[in-house]
Amino acid sequence: RYVRQLQRLQLLFSPTAADARGARQFVEEAALDFARQHPDVVLYISPRCGPAPLLLAEYLNGTVREELIASKTSEEIVQLATKLAGQSGLDIIRIRKPFHTDNPSVQGQWHPLTNKPSALTVQGPRLQPQ
Amino acid sequence: MVLLGAPCWLRSRLTDRFWRVQEVLKYARHFRGRKNRCYKLAIRSVRRAFVKSTKARREKKRFLRALWITRIEAASLEHGLKYPAFISNLLKSQVELNRKMIADLAIYEPKTFKSLAALAQRRRQEGFLAALGDGKEPEGIFSRIVRHY
Repeated sequence: RYVRQLQRLQLLFSPTAADARGARQFVEEAALDFARQHPDVVLYISPRCGPAPLLLAEYLNGTVREELIASKTSEEIVQLATKLAGQSGLDIIRIRKPFHTDNPSVQGQWHPLTNKPSALTVQGPRLQPQ
Repeated sequence: MVLLGAPCWLRSRLTDRFWRVQEVLKYARHFRGRKNRCYKLAIRSVRRAFVKSTKARREKKRFLRALWITRIEAASLEHGLKYPAFISNLLKSQVELNRKMIADLAIYEPKTFKSLAALAQRRRQEGFLAALGDGKEPEGIFSRIVRHY
């Protein structure tokens, strides 16, 4: 069953600043719909008189992503929030290999003595097998 | 808004020059010498680095294939077979493993690789018998071809 990796979304904005207009419109119109469509994400709305409006996304593996929503329209914030809700908390860097195993070797990894005969099995004129 | 004449130009100042420079320098931080600090030298080095990395993606495929072939050759020589004999006999026995997988098997599953080498050796012997024995003896077991329809 699918477990959403996004834990909580914190919407920090100021009730009077000009660049938080989109955030205020989002809170008035689209926040409830977004919260109903994503029931496993907790949405915190906290007005604060501070710097630029932020959208904080915290994931189950601990990563916190901050997105600036200054001078964005309500629709853009909705799109941004749905994009964050679909992501997992892994870092967005180049994946070196598309595969990974914790147990790469079942028969034992090769070392220089794997295919050499041991002292127990050598049949020579001097050494006897045991 | 059309800005005509120098007194009008002087109104707009470039304020984020620092971040524009940092965008380039962040890709040059691990370089050697002054090109990891000085912007003028860094833009040249960063551009060359990107061009080289784009072109090297085609070379990487050749390089990795050569690496796998070297490893398979070393592993099959441990079991007494040379690389061309090993690969051709594996293909004739309808074992269609690519070089990457055979190299990984040779590293992580040495017993499986030993059995693959034994299979190739047996198919080789059957090939010799079929070519030199001239007809009367029955065909070898591992030389039979399975057709999947």
